[in-house]
Amino acid sequence: MLEPILGSLNCERVLVFILARKEGYAREIARFFDTDLNPVQKQLEKLEVGGVLVSRTAGRTHLYSFNPRYPFLKELRSLLEKALSFYPEEESEELMMSRRRPRRRGKPL
Amino acid sequence: MKSIKEMTQGELAAFIQSHLREKGIDVVLSGGASVSIYSSNRYVSLDLDLVNPYFAKRRALRETMQEIGFHEEGRHFEHPDTQLFVEFPPGPLAVGVEPVKQVNELKFSTGMLRIISPTDCVKDRLAGYYHWGDLQCLEQAVLVAQANRIDLEEIERWSEVEGKLDEFKRIRDQLTGRET
Repeated sequence: MLEPILGSLNCERVLVFILARKEGYAREIARFFDTDLNPVQKQLEKLEVGGVLVSRTAGRTHLYSFNPRYPFLKELRSLLEKALSFYPEEESEELMMSRRRPRRRGKPL
Repeated sequence: MKSIKEMTQGELAAFIQSHLREKGIDVVLSGGASVSIYSSNRYVSLDLDLVNPYFAKRRALRETMQEIGFHEEGRHFEHPDTQLFVEFPPGPLAVGVEPVKQVNELKFSTGMLRIISPTDCVKDRLAGYYHWGDLQCLEQAVLVAQANRIDLEEIERWSEVEGKLDEFKRIRDQLTGRET
């Protein structure tokens, strides 16, 4: 959708994923879009260096989210929200509807 | 000219900036080092964030820094004669959602230092406090606010734009020194 502007399909995937889920890590994003891990990692790193994303470490995982201090964040979000509205309903729902609430360890369901 | 080993943080930043300027690369000091300078080193930062607002190419930065003895280590540059390391965060030069409009110039024996104003320095630190709840950032904002003439009304206006007016009202007296 935004590939002509962003210059990379994986860049769009990363940004749309983080828009929908608030945060994400490389393997999770690659798995969701059924794509290779390496280009997704590269996009996350590039966006972090550019100040668009920030990361924090949880265990051995680098979790990325939008940098609230990025000066074009509001405008970027609007653009991504519009792009997301053009996604196939099934895909956008799957992006938005993931379990974010905690799950007790050992719980069978 | 002093050797790099003898330079203070401000002198080193001015020296690097002057050298970059000769090559047509314009950068502005921001971040923790600007807090050090405006607080007369009551806060010490070992990194020099030289914001690269016009997106000078990494290769040009690398070559120019190498000419004055710095080498690239990942995202930053180091020199064998100083503990300070240099980073070039990409532009735009902004505090929160707004561009920095005024850049101050401080004269050092090693060159001219272009640095964000004390008011923008306070905003920059407050952004860290507002968005991440980082109390060290608040402390740094207070240090700069109390040691310099700042435009408190402008900081209030900016805080409102950031959607943080209530937070500003809570810390206003700390900035003015009426409360510690």
